Amino acid sequence: MRHLTTALAALYAGLIYLFIFLPVVVLVLFSFQDGTLPVPPLNGLTLRWYEAIFSDGKLMAALGNSLIVAIVSSAVACVLGFLAAYAFARYTLPASGLLRGLIVAPMTVSTLIIGLGLLSVLNLTGLRLSLVTVGIGHVVINLPLCFAIIYASMGGHQVNIERAARDLGAKDWQVMLLITAPMLLPSILAAFFLSVTFSWDEFIVAFLLSRFDVTLPVEIWSMLRSGLDPRTNAIGSVVFLVSVAFLVVMELTVFRKKAS
Amino acid sequence: MTATAYERAERRKAWAFALPALLWTGFFFLVPFAYMAAISFWTRQGREIVATWTLDNYVAFFEKAHLFKGLVVSLEITAAVTVISILLAYPLAWIIAERVPKKWQRFALIMAILPFWTSYVVRSYSWLLVLSKGGVVNQALLWLGVIAEPLELSANRIGTIIGFVHFFVMLLTLTIYANLIQLSPNYRRAAADLGANAFQTFWFVVLPLTLPGIMVGAFLTFVLCIGDYITPQILGGNNELVLPQVIMLQLGRRADFPMAAALSLVLMVVVTLAYIACARWLKMERT
Amino acid sequence: MMTKTVSSGFSRRMLLATAAVLVLAPAGAQAQDELNALVWCDHTDPALVEPFEKANNVKVNLKEYEGTGAAISIIEQSRPGDWDVLVIDAVDVPRAIDMDILSEMPADKLPLGDLFPEVRMEETTTKDGKVYAVTEKFGYNTISFDKTKVDPADMDDLSVIWSDKYKGRIALYDYYLPMVGLTGVGIGKKTADLKQEDLPAIKEKLFEMKKVARQVSDVVASQTALATGEVDIVVGGGEWLTAGLSGEKPNLDWTIPKQGALRWAQSIGVFKDSEKQDLALKFVQYIVSPEGQARLATSSCYWAMPANAKAGEHLTDPQKAALRWDKQPEYLKNSQLYPVADADMDAAMQDVWTEMLQQ
Repeated sequence: MRHLTTALAALYAGLIYLFIFLPVVVLVLFSFQDGTLPVPPLNGLTLRWYEAIFSDGKLMAALGNSLIVAIVSSAVACVLGFLAAYAFARYTLPASGLLRGLIVAPMTVSTLIIGLGLLSVLNLTGLRLSLVTVGIGHVVINLPLCFAIIYASMGGHQVNIERAARDLGAKDWQVMLLITAPMLLPSILAAFFLSVTFSWDEFIVAFLLSRFDVTLPVEIWSMLRSGLDPRTNAIGSVVFLVSVAFLVVMELTVFRKKAS
Repeated sequence: MTATAYERAERRKAWAFALPALLWTGFFFLVPFAYMAAISFWTRQGREIVATWTLDNYVAFFEKAHLFKGLVVSLEITAAVTVISILLAYPLAWIIAERVPKKWQRFALIMAILPFWTSYVVRSYSWLLVLSKGGVVNQALLWLGVIAEPLELSANRIGTIIGFVHFFVMLLTLTIYANLIQLSPNYRRAAADLGANAFQTFWFVVLPLTLPGIMVGAFLTFVLCIGDYITPQILGGNNELVLPQVIMLQLGRRADFPMAAALSLVLMVVVTLAYIACARWLKMERT
Repeated sequence: MMTKTVSSGFSRRMLLATAAVLVLAPAGAQAQDELNALVWCDHTDPALVEPFEKANNVKVNLKEYEGTGAAISIIEQSRPGDWDVLVIDAVDVPRAIDMDILSEMPADKLPLGDLFPEVRMEETTTKDGKVYAVTEKFGYNTISFDKTKVDPADMDDLSVIWSDKYKGRIALYDYYLPMVGLTGVGIGKKTADLKQEDLPAIKEKLFEMKKVARQVSDVVASQTALATGEVDIVVGGGEWLTAGLSGEKPNLDWTIPKQGALRWAQSIGVFKDSEKQDLALKFVQYIVSPEGQARLATSSCYWAMPANAKAGEHLTDPQKAALRWDKQPEYLKNSQLYPVADADMDAAMQDVWTEMLQQ
């Protein structure tokens, strides 16, 4: 009986893992397709699509843009989120529940709506669409997340340490920078990297709020719409590989430390 | 320094810390949102956008069947995706939490969510390669002799749902697993002591205790699924349109920002209702 | 007091400077030669644009769109001066002229006399004798098919697109204008006289077409579906769908049925508010020159006939064969332009199309 259920469990898990990995395996496989159509049957293997994407200036620029937008917007979201979390956890503010609700509100709104709203307002302000506007949109999306993660990890036990530091003559900014931030580092980093992941792969806001300099998902989208070739698979595979490498590094450094 | 002066200084400091985030959200989220709500009462007349105050766009939404159907299609797909994803993800999360040895659990979990890190656009598109008539699944089934004619798995609702379920199975496995490992083994031991078998323990003890977690996951699925444009656009074959596609159509084809804004607000209201229902249920569960 | 004024004056200047930097930074970046063009996807091929960029030492920024509505949406969300060059369906040029966004171009600096007479389209691209746009490329919305999988003889009759014979093997091109027009042609209505009263009959046929179609898709998805055997017929397709794949997929073909087909024509013009009128005109001149035309005709997103007859000298024989260069007189005769619609008619056609999608 026990063996039977274990076998069934293994079978079930195997099937779901197959389902989960199917598109990724197919994606990588057909990135080596010899021929201009990335569809079955597999004609043969070639690396030329990888050469093609690395020599494609627009695509590489989009990759760089994506990295910059992801890192800068996540950093801004983390700083704003940290400061706000500190304010709400350490001080009493009037209508604090309402204000916290305001900060996390964008989390429950579709990114399409956030993007459309920003588009219409930016139009009034005269700020031209660019990577900056994409970054602004990404901060809006990521700020609630950063705030929630950091706020949740601000427990009472840190208050005593902060008070001790203050009693020893530390200024507010010193306490925040030298005591609070290092204690909360794991959750700040978690918030940061989660933001980077979201921003890196975000499409609709980046699509609506950019003009000529675009991020990678938008560039891939227009590649998909302007011709059929296995370069899409090649860039998809590269993105996957880079992200997994990044994940492994994270796993071995940041989270390993946290677990121990 | 008096106590009140000190308090005032403290309060000023608190505001200074909270204000950047509040202003950012206010200026780049609340103001755009309010502006969009206002625009939704304007109309596109001929080739001009006129700042009138009418309910025309909302009336059109209810009167024109092809607009209203966008919401119906969205709700149907989202409901199906949410239910299927939970049914598929729960057993996997349970297997990882209960049957996989402790030291391998983290690895098993990461493997279950690894494809998250492929580009979302590319992932939807590669489902097309998997599901199309000449795609991997049909080829395999034909070769095995399970089917005689290729199945129509893409360019329709099935394709959209498969694409969505793939994403949300990963997400829900993560959230449900997090829920399961927080359960104290004492509950199960207690149930076993009282004579419950494995199934009874699961049904009467484990499942009810993880229900709030499932609800939160379901809500997340609902919000992300109903607002998504990419998956139905790539996998649906335009055989029916979900609300976000209808919204993008207003923008892309007719340059009708007021209508797009009105439809966005409808979408927003639906999500809010789902949120209220979910919050209500969670509160009832707790008391 | 003194210091206060100075410091407040100083901080105000700082604020102004910051604001100026924020607002002007993108404009500042434009000070080096850049040209912003709003185009259909065929203009994004580096093989087309790079020679112009190198020769004139400019950077051409391209933003692609599909369908005039999308272009107008983008233009309305921009500010004057944001755009320099516009590529737009020739039949929609009057709409752009009405919006007062195009500037007049000197006729003597454009090779208007070299264009195929049928696609000069003075009635739409000019107004009061002034040239606002010039036709650059044209082709047909008709039927593309896989000749190894369907009977080519069936393709000579438009009624095949709503018959049951190829049920589930048809893709419809997702652009309401040519599709409403083509369906009209199929039931014997001239696109030039299309009225709102005709729409119910067309709608009925569109619904029948939807029933036998497998999918409704944009340029690339239609191409993919046909090339991969997902469908065997693309309604609304033409040389733009199959000519580019002619080398790799010789089994793909297209034809103009006996009832006729729709003819599309793209035109290019300069934005009135562009601050670089000369450079923009230069770009237009390059695109309509024989060399530019040959590159545009065979650009990566889709192939189609160049409007300039002299481009033939720069095209190879296989390229000309794929474009059906020699058959143009016959095709031109048997094709009609896109329906020209006022705002109400346009909205009505879009409603019909969306209803069909939701069917």
